[in-house]
Amino acid sequence: MIPEAFEYHCPTTLEEAWQAMAETGEDGKIVAGGHSLIPMMKLRLASPKYLIDIGRIEELRNIREEDGGIEIGALATHHQIEASDLLKLLCPLLPETASEIGDVQVRNMGTIGGSLAHADPAADWPAAILALEAEIEARSAHGARWIKAADYFVDLMTTALEPDEILTRIRVPAVHAHTGQAYLKLHHPASGYAMVGVAVCLTLAESGVVAKLAVGLTGAGAKAVRAVAVEEVLSGKTPKDSRLNEAAAVATQGMELNGDLYASAEYRGHLARVYTRRALAKALERARGTA
Amino acid sequence: MTIEGTYNIAAPQETVWQHLMSPESLARALPGCERLEPAPDGSFQAVLKIGIGAVKGTYHGRIELADVIPPESYRMKVEGKGAGGFVKGEGTLNLSENGQGGTTIQYSGEAQVGGLIASVGQRLVQATARQVVNQFFQALVHQM
Repeated sequence: MIPEAFEYHCPTTLEEAWQAMAETGEDGKIVAGGHSLIPMMKLRLASPKYLIDIGRIEELRNIREEDGGIEIGALATHHQIEASDLLKLLCPLLPETASEIGDVQVRNMGTIGGSLAHADPAADWPAAILALEAEIEARSAHGARWIKAADYFVDLMTTALEPDEILTRIRVPAVHAHTGQAYLKLHHPASGYAMVGVAVCLTLAESGVVAKLAVGLTGAGAKAVRAVAVEEVLSGKTPKDSRLNEAAAVATQGMELNGDLYASAEYRGHLARVYTRRALAKALERARGTA
Repeated sequence: MTIEGTYNIAAPQETVWQHLMSPESLARALPGCERLEPAPDGSFQAVLKIGIGAVKGTYHGRIELADVIPPESYRMKVEGKGAGGFVKGEGTLNLSENGQGGTTIQYSGEAQVGGLIASVGQRLVQATARQVVNQFFQALVHQM
């Protein structure tokens, strides 16, 4: 449980961080809270020669309201998000998701940006980020760009970030009226990661039909995905119980499911359908203001 | 662990077969392949550098083809090891015309993964294998 030796860099500005990245090239690895990377280093699954710790770049730590949305700095810890009054009011899905991550120690140190850059297939944030249709800012020495959540997760632990880019901010829209959000997961008993996790963001029209629905699913496949088939079954329709069942039944349509020692692919598929059904019901209750 | 699937390539079966039998094409298509050389016994020696996210490793392996029936099928035996553990597997590839001038490749195999990766990264093994296979076929198509 002792990592291989590495050289430690701790830039205090983004400029210094980019410079360190340019100097260390593919032997360098950025670390934020270190709660994904350091355990992998201790297991020697990862052995970067250089660690570039961006934890001292203060400007990446803030959560603030901006143009009708909320901007979250990449270094915001899970706990900071869990405890944010602003987010509880404007985007309660994020505090709810944060409260489901790991344990207190992990939430105190781990960051949203670190988790998203690592892109573990069973991490919690990707489901919420997809359901919120959030945007992710990537900055390099040459400029900044916003990446849509749907384009961000490329494959297993692979994101749309370029090697010279740092994930700096996440932008989420504030909730509309008549909107309910929910994140439900089954915790892996040892690691706390999601066996499956389902995030739902559901808006009802005045008439009671589903005006807008986005469902993010994590833990089931190689990467988190939008459960598009579920959204299609419900969009524009009255969310009756039978229709919720019908929607949840297609939660893993078109997906290649992960199997491992703890849960077969078949079992994961079952879990995904059950948790999708429950998350839809919870979001609906909240959208109706009855929860 | 079972790895199986199908892949469609918009090229004639004969072309696909030639690429699958050519060490140069394979070397270019295998993700992170640093070396692929024929050995005297008809097998191939390979060095692959596989990196997924923070997990990177160099693997040395041996690939052997058997029951080669051109241009339809062969069996492939793979053995490899690196700092992260070892992999051992056997599988078959079947090629067939898909009726639209293209070729369907069906593959299925069994692989055993052991060592460090298997003990601590077990939940990532299957998804990793799938990603490597997909990258391989995409890169192969790219050459045609």
